[in-house]
Amino acid sequence: MKLLTHNLLSSHVRGLRPGGGFPLQIQASEVRVRPVPFNAAFVARLVPRLRWAALLEAAESLGHPSELPPEPAADYEGDESFLRRVHHILLEVEVLEGVLQCPDSGRRFPISRGIPNMLLSEEEA
Amino acid sequence: MAAGGGRYFCTAGRGLEPFLAREVRARLGATEVDRVSGKVFFSTEAEPGELRKLKSGERLFLLLKKHTPIPVSRNKGKVLHEIKSLVIEEPKYWLDVISIWRNLHGCGGQKDNVSQENPSPLKRKSEEANIATKRQKMEQVRGTMSEECQAEGGERCVVPERKSDQDCWTESKTSLEDPSKSSGEEPIANEQLSFSFRVSCRCSGAIAKILTSQEIGRAVGIALMKQCGWRADLRDADLEIFIHLNDIHSVVGIPLFRLPLANREYIKTAGLRSTIAWAMASLAEISAGAFVLDPMCGLGTILLEAAKEWPEACYWGADISDSQLEGADVNIRTAGLMDKIELLKASVKALPLPSESFDAVISDIPFGKKFKITKDIQLLPDILQEMERVLRVGGTIVLLLSQDLHKCMDGITKHAENDSPNAISDGASETTTAKALNVDGNSSSLVNGIEESFLSSRQTRFGSLVPDGVYEVSLGKTDAFIYKYRKISSAGNQ
Repeated sequence: MKLLTHNLLSSHVRGLRPGGGFPLQIQASEVRVRPVPFNAAFVARLVPRLRWAALLEAAESLGHPSELPPEPAADYEGDESFLRRVHHILLEVEVLEGVLQCPDSGRRFPISRGIPNMLLSEEEA
Repeated sequence: MAAGGGRYFCTAGRGLEPFLAREVRARLGATEVDRVSGKVFFSTEAEPGELRKLKSGERLFLLLKKHTPIPVSRNKGKVLHEIKSLVIEEPKYWLDVISIWRNLHGCGGQKDNVSQENPSPLKRKSEEANIATKRQKMEQVRGTMSEECQAEGGERCVVPERKSDQDCWTESKTSLEDPSKSSGEEPIANEQLSFSFRVSCRCSGAIAKILTSQEIGRAVGIALMKQCGWRADLRDADLEIFIHLNDIHSVVGIPLFRLPLANREYIKTAGLRSTIAWAMASLAEISAGAFVLDPMCGLGTILLEAAKEWPEACYWGADISDSQLEGADVNIRTAGLMDKIELLKASVKALPLPSESFDAVISDIPFGKKFKITKDIQLLPDILQEMERVLRVGGTIVLLLSQDLHKCMDGITKHAENDSPNAISDGASETTTAKALNVDGNSSSLVNGIEESFLSSRQTRFGSLVPDGVYEVSLGKTDAFIYKYRKISSAGNQ
């Protein structure tokens, strides 16, 4: 599971207050860093779609502090070193084994072999 | 054939011809594109490397001849004669064809026997080998054949005939040996001088009522052997000659590649047929930076085809089955697409994803094949609801529905349309409609959106999803329907 995916994932347990299922807290037992070819234009397109605070928080929790600013700068598109740092944290760091925890309900979703299991039971959904 | 290019024809599964026609223009800059049922003819200067990349076609052939249909009469001999005069030419003609084919492939002179003046007659040794491996070959050929049959659903499938085609073929070779011996020709021991070929014939329409593919293949093969002195080799022919005869035309061609285009070397285990998966992805309008989701991804075929063709996007696949996800994972690794495609274990009925976060949702809806129809009808609105929710305004949904679900689809959408907004019998649908007609994010106004249905080739509107095309495609034994929807805002603006 890359942090790009984590940036989208939310818990849909029934009865959560709005927005209560995001962001999921990561407890990783196995993390892998794998190089991915860098494409500045591609990363620049991703930036506006990201929930920035959640990304920074996730990076920290994995022990990969991202050295990223609290908000993307206005001219981020032209800042290659910024884009490279975004690229690294978003696409090159993967959680292979661990748990994602719903902030509101505490429900835990396991990650196994890089794939998060977000299935809810009948009662939860 | 012009120095700068060639004329080709490519077979296509029924329903995919328009996709193929569009693809040859876009990918190969093809001109003189002529589309008929099951085939697209075109001219291009593209190299074989580019031709190999065609994604919506089945098999690609170099066009040798295209004529009007063979005149059909009760006189079999006469009809066969017509066919033979279509195909049989001086050996030089075939040598030219072969050198063109070889140039296309940049082949060196491994079997550089073609230019010999005296091509050798039948060689006993190779024939024995052929008979021994005939069984092996038939398995192989049947495999290829059934794919071809699936592809050309519009024409009569000739698998059984093909098998006996082989039988006949071998027999005819054996019987020919004696005549050649008695004529004083001796098999030349020199391996280099042999050239092998194989004739494959497919016929349908009026001509198929008079002759079988087997009879035609045999007659043409024997005539070619007599004319050119080549030997037939079912296992590993140097040259394959394809004859397609139907009511529209008579076509002769040689295949460019041994394997069908639909065989992707980057897919380990195919789920949905790759050509259809690619066609669906091509409808989804995937632009650079797009977020694409397949919420019932199975083995990931659609995502693989999409990510290969449109790599500047991000892809997610979700499925509830561990074994499918494992298979998808292997496929993704085999294709080298781990950087592009991420997997989730999740249910399409409750996607753990934010609203309006995807640009395209593409899926082969697997129901109607495994589950009972009554259950499917109830599930489909839930599935559509979630797909619509995660899709951003202006985004597209592309679905593949079985024939049964296609019939249900009308029922579901008309149901929503005919009943008044508050009185929909199925509770799930009510929520669906209420949510789907959100104006400015509030569920307050249940507008006449439902009654304003857009009827377009049997499609009706579902919430804020507006139909944007239905395409019937052949899956071999059955037909399926590709549905495309676009999400608009409730105000009707995009």
